[in-house]
Amino acid sequence: MNVLPFLIIVPLFGAFSMPLIKLISEKFRDIWAVIISAITLCVAADVFYTIWKTNQIIVYTLGDTTPLGKGVGFPIRIVWEVDLLGALIAVTIAFVSLLAIIYSLEYMKYDTGLDKYYTLILILELGMLGIVITGDIFNFYVFLEIMSIASYALVAFRNDTWEGIEAGIKYMFVGSLASSFILLGIALLYGQYGTLTMAYLSHYITREPTFVSKVALAFILGGLLFKSGAVPVHMWLADAHPAAPSSISAMLSGLVIKAGGVYAIARILFSIYGISLNIRTLGWIVIFFACLTLIVGNAMAVVQTDMKRLFAFSSVGQIGYILLGIGIGLAAYGTKVGQIALAGAIYHTVNHALMKALLFLVAGAVLHEVGTKNLNELSGLARKMPLTSFAFLVGAAAIIGLPPLNGFASKWLIYESSALYNPFLAAVAVLGTAFCTAAYIRVLFTFFGKESEKVKEARDPGKAMVIPMIILILAIIIMGLLPWQINDSIMLPTAKMLEESGKYVLAVLGG
Amino acid sequence: MIPFQFVTAFLLICMGIYAFLYKRNLIKLILALDIIDSGIHLLLISLGYRLENGVLPTAPIYTGYETLKGTPMVGPIPQALVLTSIVIGVCVLALAMALTINAYRHYGSLDINKLRRLRG
Repeated sequence: MNVLPFLIIVPLFGAFSMPLIKLISEKFRDIWAVIISAITLCVAADVFYTIWKTNQIIVYTLGDTTPLGKGVGFPIRIVWEVDLLGALIAVTIAFVSLLAIIYSLEYMKYDTGLDKYYTLILILELGMLGIVITGDIFNFYVFLEIMSIASYALVAFRNDTWEGIEAGIKYMFVGSLASSFILLGIALLYGQYGTLTMAYLSHYITREPTFVSKVALAFILGGLLFKSGAVPVHMWLADAHPAAPSSISAMLSGLVIKAGGVYAIARILFSIYGISLNIRTLGWIVIFFACLTLIVGNAMAVVQTDMKRLFAFSSVGQIGYILLGIGIGLAAYGTKVGQIALAGAIYHTVNHALMKALLFLVAGAVLHEVGTKNLNELSGLARKMPLTSFAFLVGAAAIIGLPPLNGFASKWLIYESSALYNPFLAAVAVLGTAFCTAAYIRVLFTFFGKESEKVKEARDPGKAMVIPMIILILAIIIMGLLPWQINDSIMLPTAKMLEESGKYVLAVLGG
Repeated sequence: MIPFQFVTAFLLICMGIYAFLYKRNLIKLILALDIIDSGIHLLLISLGYRLENGVLPTAPIYTGYETLKGTPMVGPIPQALVLTSIVIGVCVLALAMALTINAYRHYGSLDINKLRRLRG
């Protein structure tokens, strides 16, 4: 039996049964949210394992067995098409969402309207999972909007504070404009080629890349860069991510900008446009934005006094690394260097999801116990909250890229490939890391500094908040101990599969 | 010649983007987003329209089918897409309105320039 549709069915059912479950008991509602997301994780893991084992792309047609129309040779139905990259990101999404939900059991305990909160968080998860498994470009837009609307609502969830509302409004206007651009691009593509299936679109574009298809690419790429928070359109991210509740910040920074931004960029550039355009130019455009993002994001992180805002800017910087990997992968398409860069980008996507989720959970724990996230008031936290401080230490070391942790391997792959491709890019990447290190060292000094008034009463948070942090720490350390094995067995095949756009097309259209 | 629907759609999108960039009232910004969406919907729906031998096309759901045999039909997919997109647009609109009401409660103003407390 094909388990793929359950990736959507389970969270959808969980989300909309939540108000009913709440009528039974509030306790059961919390457990229900955890159970649903745990089942989703199992399904995602199963899908990933199947694809990894057989090295085959899974194609699922909604409502039929074959995507092709009766008696015609082209697809007329909505298809879901999952390759290794999609499955890998899906596992990451399900994993971090599960931890975020466990974390919110305690973190959101004193908020009201929690059934709506859990409904929205499951819809957010569902939207992201949909994005990574879909093979139809309009279906992609629908899932993108499901994800976006849920995240706008979640950023503004605490509507009794001005912070959430202001951030929510800014996020919403920018995000909706970006979505409109993406829809415009999709409309242009449909008008030109008369199909919405990604694989068939790719088949057509390879045959005749027209001017309209390039304009459409510009619109879609612009919209997706907005959504992934690349410089110069990153300002919404620095407002929205800190203002959300911390469990949501972890999902937004760890997952949403990956699934709705970077993943979609990779999918559209490689699988749809692929070899048909002047790939070197396209790669350099992405590299240009990546370098800007890398420098500006990390440099802005240094001067922040608000801990969550610092993490948010650091997210912008890390998106820069991922885009750099994708850009080099495009510009050096088909060579060993390009493949290493792409593997590094994919690896860093997964790693950053774990590290940034951990850091935001730490920020949430501090906010929960001390009541402030201003770094000037938080000095000397390490003695009062040892476990939280340790979690921060691990997360910060991983994000800087210290060797025994997982960030090292992915950053190394990106440095190595950029140095081989163009030494100037490697210099930029290392400069970004220098800024990143400065920012985190500053927080570290605050944590281990002299004890201030505010932190006298602080202690480590309760079990439901500590367990997700411990799981993330373990994941980071274990992934850090086996960097090259993971790279060889998972990341390189994933990069290879993404590069072979011909296979992506054949999986739908058939031999 | 470019069909006039496309020109209208283009003008609507440009109007929306102009309003989005230069208006400062939250309600007007929401309307601007809606105008951009309308432009895109017009573009999509006119993609499905085709005139064959001067005969006006009919909607695909038209049931008096036998009498109209041989007349061209408009493309059904753009209509489905626009329906979906309208529903999404309504969701965004409703959420935006809800947030605007909340913003008015906190700030006492609908001016987006007043929403500047987040700094760092």
